[in-house]
Amino acid sequence: MSPSDTTLRDLHVPTPVIDPPDDYLHVEQTLSSWIFTTDHKRIGLLYLVSITVFFLLGSIAAGLIRLSLIVPDGEIFSNDIYNRLFTLHGVIMVWFFLVPSIPNTLGNFLLPLMIGAKDVAFPKLNLLSWYVFVLGSLFTMFVMIWGGVDTGWTFYTPLSTEYADSYVIAAVLGVIVVGFSSILTGLNFMVTVHKLRAPGMTWFRMPLFVWSLYATSMILVLATPVLTIALILLFAERALGLAVFDPANGGDPVLFQHLFWFYSHPVVYVMVLPGMGVMSELITAFSCKRVFGYKFIAFSSLGIAAIGFFVWGHHMFYNGMSPYAGLTFSLMSFIVAVPSAIKVYNWAATIHKGAIRLDTPMLYAMSWIGLFVIGGVTGLMLASTALDGHVHDTYFVVAHFHYIMVGATVVAFLGGIHFWWPKITGRLYSEPWGRISAFLMFFGFNMTFFPQYLLGYMGMPRRYHVYPPSYQVLNVLSSAGATMLAVAYIFPMIYLIWSLWYGERAGDNPWEAKGLEWTTTSPPPKHNFHHMPVVDFEPYDYPNIAPEK
Amino acid sequence: MSGTVGIKVEEHFHSAEQQRETARLGMWTFLLTELLLFSGLFITALVIRVQHPTSVTAVALHLKFWIGATNTAVLILSSFSMSVAIELSRLGRQRLMLRFMLLTAALGAVFMMLKGYEYYRDYVEHMMPFLPYRSYELAADPASRLFTNLYFITTGLHAIHLTIGIGIMLVMAWLASRTGFLQQHQNRIEITGLYWHFIDLVWMVVFPTLYLLNR
Repeated sequence: MSPSDTTLRDLHVPTPVIDPPDDYLHVEQTLSSWIFTTDHKRIGLLYLVSITVFFLLGSIAAGLIRLSLIVPDGEIFSNDIYNRLFTLHGVIMVWFFLVPSIPNTLGNFLLPLMIGAKDVAFPKLNLLSWYVFVLGSLFTMFVMIWGGVDTGWTFYTPLSTEYADSYVIAAVLGVIVVGFSSILTGLNFMVTVHKLRAPGMTWFRMPLFVWSLYATSMILVLATPVLTIALILLFAERALGLAVFDPANGGDPVLFQHLFWFYSHPVVYVMVLPGMGVMSELITAFSCKRVFGYKFIAFSSLGIAAIGFFVWGHHMFYNGMSPYAGLTFSLMSFIVAVPSAIKVYNWAATIHKGAIRLDTPMLYAMSWIGLFVIGGVTGLMLASTALDGHVHDTYFVVAHFHYIMVGATVVAFLGGIHFWWPKITGRLYSEPWGRISAFLMFFGFNMTFFPQYLLGYMGMPRRYHVYPPSYQVLNVLSSAGATMLAVAYIFPMIYLIWSLWYGERAGDNPWEAKGLEWTTTSPPPKHNFHHMPVVDFEPYDYPNIAPEK
Repeated sequence: MSGTVGIKVEEHFHSAEQQRETARLGMWTFLLTELLLFSGLFITALVIRVQHPTSVTAVALHLKFWIGATNTAVLILSSFSMSVAIELSRLGRQRLMLRFMLLTAALGAVFMMLKGYEYYRDYVEHMMPFLPYRSYELAADPASRLFTNLYFITTGLHAIHLTIGIGIMLVMAWLASRTGFLQQHQNRIEITGLYWHFIDLVWMVVFPTLYLLNR
């Protein structure tokens, strides 16, 4: 043990450990101890590895899409291959990366630690959810790469039931299976928060990340079954001939869209809410200041989850909807922006006069706010029916949801990984490389997606790869930005993996952050705490003075 | 036979009470997801009914009302017998509880047999529009296919759930045939019971939605 370790060690740890007991990474090292583990921390890492693989595959598909869009005449790929590429990209990124990204990796790892529990409520179910996820997603991947699916990730009928000449049935089955994994995780988290909090850990002492995970779990539990049934109906129609949406017999394809978006809009908040939770942790820790408006942030998470269930119609303003329904969905979509804005203002107020440290996680957090605000405000533009008529199904929409999903979720995910990396692995990564990557991410992201706002506003439709030559400059700019973005993803993969062997030992609390997870050793022992934690402090009791470096 | 009733506390819980409550909340949450799964079908039934009221009525008149009604009664009886089993498990009467669990599973099997007979009648009466080699009774009314198809999907999904329920019940009965089961795992009976009651309750909504509302 090096001397710096002793100085960094938190005084809260009860006994000075000379020969440290095995942490969760070293307690057993056989393969079966990993693939049959019920330890939430190891399952979190299993998820981290699997979703990173899917992220790489989805990114390759995105890269090929951007490659194709460099030239206006769509010569690089055939139409068929282009359709399959953007379907592959969408399905992988939504279901196999974004939905499980923060909840199943950081959430799995941190939720029990943050509330002072030994594990999640149902550890075996947790492992089962990983198996279900891996089997379902690998099956879908196999189908989509060897066979191909060309419906887009939305699987709209009757395209998916009648006209698509691709492997829709198998892909839909895979997505249904992966949905069960979401349900199991959401259920597990909800019950864990309700029943497994440590003594003294009242609801209003929970970290805001836990609040956001709780809201996320509510959405997963309530929305995912509706996707399951929508896809079951689609499956029955295409595979068994049990047609329910078939317009030839008077069926209503728009009904499928309603069922689909009843899941798929709330699931946007499944992607964003955990990111918001990560933000609350990062901003308080690196402003060294108590969070501003704790209860407002906590309740705004629940508010987003609740109102988020009543806005799905804004995806369908121009797909056959009465003006009154459109008006209602438009109004609700404006209202759901309020809790998001509350959070942003509260974070700004937290940073204000804080003792700010601009370490890597904080750089990610700062870029998060900027990107989320741009994505959110353009979301309001899309929520107004009149403007939506102009930019509906154009690159404006594509840019908007990438600002939310990549700009918010992926940036928060990376920020969170950097913040908790010392806790997860016990090692520190290279800070300069971290900062460079955070900057590259911000600039690369804006360069990729801001031109798409302009393209969409000028009228370039989504899902086409042939476009008028006048759009070429912006498309090339966007593709160039994607290259920079790729570098910003590859750097952390390299230096984080490098740090596993060569990184400096982190100590228990390298950021001087508050919260139960920082009171245990890094990496934590198998059952998280050496002694049962008793919570007798308020959340985020920061001193408002930056610690000495 | 009677004895102390309890549960074996797993490593990550503090107390038996905590474990008991956790399991119960977990099952309720799961049932909530099941409810939303079926409500997707109910809303679809409603939409089809609003869009094609006469076609839906034509189909509903072809459904076997009395088989559906008998099945409703069978499931209510099975729920009652499950309640008795749960009460007996709390009292520690393991052998008697076992019998009521087997009775519950048997009633579930009766439901499935009646359902199978109903499907057979549907086949005989040419009410299976999805079979390409067989003519369809209401072929003149294309919109009626939608509701007929939905009928098969909904009852089929319910039958799958009930089959799983019978399977769980038999496994639990097999486990409970060992002495000392209730001392360690009384909780499992309560959880199984929750699931069983839920399947019955879903049928209580399926039956009026498909058979009654549209006649």
